[in-house]
Amino acid sequence: MIRLIPTAEMTLGPFFPREFAEGANDLAQGASGEIIEITGRISELDGKALDNVIVEIWQADAAGRFDNPAFPGWGRAATDAQGNYRFRTIRPGAAPGRAPHVNFLILYSGLMRQLQTVMFFEDAADPALNVVKAKERLIAKPDGQNRYRFDIRLRGADETPFFDD
Amino acid sequence: MAIRIEPRDPLTQAQGVEAGYAQTARRWPSQPLLRRPLGASELSGPQQLARRLPPTGGGKLGDLAGYGDKRAIGQLVRLRVRVLDEDGAPLPGTVVEAWHCNAAGKYIHPNDTHDAPVDPNFYGAARLVAGDSGLVELRTIKPGAYPVPDTGGWWRPPHVHLSVWGRVWLSRLVTQMFFPGEPLNEADAILNAIRDPGARERCIARLVPSKSTEMIFEHQLVVRGRKGSAALP
Repeated sequence: MIRLIPTAEMTLGPFFPREFAEGANDLAQGASGEIIEITGRISELDGKALDNVIVEIWQADAAGRFDNPAFPGWGRAATDAQGNYRFRTIRPGAAPGRAPHVNFLILYSGLMRQLQTVMFFEDAADPALNVVKAKERLIAKPDGQNRYRFDIRLRGADETPFFDD
Repeated sequence: MAIRIEPRDPLTQAQGVEAGYAQTARRWPSQPLLRRPLGASELSGPQQLARRLPPTGGGKLGDLAGYGDKRAIGQLVRLRVRVLDEDGAPLPGTVVEAWHCNAAGKYIHPNDTHDAPVDPNFYGAARLVAGDSGLVELRTIKPGAYPVPDTGGWWRPPHVHLSVWGRVWLSRLVTQMFFPGEPLNEADAILNAIRDPGARERCIARLVPSKSTEMIFEHQLVVRGRKGSAALP
């Protein structure tokens, strides 16, 4: 039986093309559900904001399904010079056995491989959240009506918990 | 079809902080990464992503080199990149993004401050969709080497950045492809962060005989994931 070894991941580098980074941060268009906005700031050690970080998300539809052809479920954004990213999407439903959540993937210069984390809407029983000590760091902060803030600190004080699979 | 994802092998994947790459110590998490149970959320992924990320510059055959008086300066090359999963099954329809600097080592990006000339006929980014055998081809010019600012002598060898999607969310692969026989490959802090020599070798494309005016390089990308049931809770 063939068993190939996955190719080594490498850093995205600082020059990810702008045209790739743009145009995919609105998942809500044409989708049914409650439209929400997720914004956040991405920073490194000492809190310095990071420019042109690539953030990708993957989430269920409003009914908690991951295979709805009418909802893309996937989006990508880049941070601006102040370290801020923004998504417009719909509020994910609870998939079986899971609390509502949005998967996050971070790619950047200085990250030798992708980082994975998860945003939750509230503290709830969830198999991924259960393995985290600083649970509050994975829970988005309400920021106005249907707006959520999810800041990501790669390293240092208030460091975001990340997963390795 | 259920897809199984196995933990990364520390010999064949970089581990985070690298002495020769100062930014890693400011950005890679200081806390250990956490293991979580995997389920439908992590083991599913976007389908038909090509609709959301449409090809730029040609579909299955990308062209960054141009022709005639619009030809980019540099050695003409054709990159043949095949995308497979761990079972060796090709991934037709998968999206492949490729980007690289020009022959003088300059990227078309506002953040590139390197004092090297811009080539007006070269735009170094193409998004492609793999054909039936998981293959994409890119006609382009060979990228140059360039010094990394503030590192006291680290030069990046010629390389092409590649970003691809596999069958599920956890199959996402962002990597770099190197060229064979480049002396800078031996000291590059990114390539050499991979401990296993075989795994490094697999990041270097293979030159194949060519009767055309293009040097042809073949390369294989293996995304994470094989068929089989994950051990679900």
